[in-house]
Amino acid sequence: MSKKHHHPHDAHAAITHDEKPGFYEILEISIRELLVEKGLLGPAEIREQIEVLDSRSPALGSMLVARAWLDPAFKQRLLDNGVAAAKEMGIDMYDDTDFSVVENTETVHHVIVCTLCSCYPRPVLGLPPDWYKSKEYRSRTVKEPRAVLEEFGTIIPAHVDIVVKDSTANLRYMVLPLRPAGTENYTESQLAALVTRDAMIGVKVLRA
Amino acid sequence: MSDTEYFIKHLPNDLGGTTCNDKITITERALYPWEKRCHALLDVLDYHKIVNTEEKRRATENIGPDLAGKLSYYEKWIIAASNCLLQKGILHPDEIARKTKEVGERYQVVA
Repeated sequence: MSKKHHHPHDAHAAITHDEKPGFYEILEISIRELLVEKGLLGPAEIREQIEVLDSRSPALGSMLVARAWLDPAFKQRLLDNGVAAAKEMGIDMYDDTDFSVVENTETVHHVIVCTLCSCYPRPVLGLPPDWYKSKEYRSRTVKEPRAVLEEFGTIIPAHVDIVVKDSTANLRYMVLPLRPAGTENYTESQLAALVTRDAMIGVKVLRA
Repeated sequence: MSDTEYFIKHLPNDLGGTTCNDKITITERALYPWEKRCHALLDVLDYHKIVNTEEKRRATENIGPDLAGKLSYYEKWIIAASNCLLQKGILHPDEIARKTKEVGERYQVVA
């Protein structure tokens, strides 16, 4: 385990954090150490899992999107079976969840949420932002998605339907955003660089 | 729908469509090291099927709306993990008390 307990203070942090561990951090340390002492967890397992978590970021989702935009056959495989298509690109669903990719079109815009907790396609997007786990986002997105999207600065035209996908512990969604106009000559890596986490959650649309 | 009927039909964590008109606070931050360790701990507990994701979710739900509203996301997770491990008899309350005291002393935290 890390012996470092000097956390850098972030001016944008939502909550403050003292130099010394608080009650819940002490509980986390205690439970982990007890489980290791009992031989139920290996001493390196938590660190190894942190490395897995750190290796996952929206860059992986962006890679899937860029490939899907350029390769119609891959796009079809991605929409048909997200787990298998991600595996083709070397991305495994380390949490053993099902992975469903939903495609935005000129007439349908998708947005993902987890009303029950915080289910999120972590293997391809990393850990979710705080707002995705917030009471406000979870309760309102299924009820008034247009108003929620407007808070993200996203105005979806009235003639476009909005479909909200509610994730579960076993099934995680990701949005395949519309490819922006003016990107016809972009390379795969240029396209991937355009794709943002928020577009793959569905709270933003992409522009070149 | 009567008041009691509402509570029967809606689990406390089932927030979809509930009355909430507050604006979303759209901020970004990195997790604190302990939060990431807590996340990894629950992942590893799921891999070993000691506490699976569904059990964690239910235990989080069992914290109840009053306390849940006061705890941060990973504070709820570590409470959920602790309660699951106690219920399954994998950890004993005395062990947790002894260990938290030891850890608190290690970091010179006054209980």
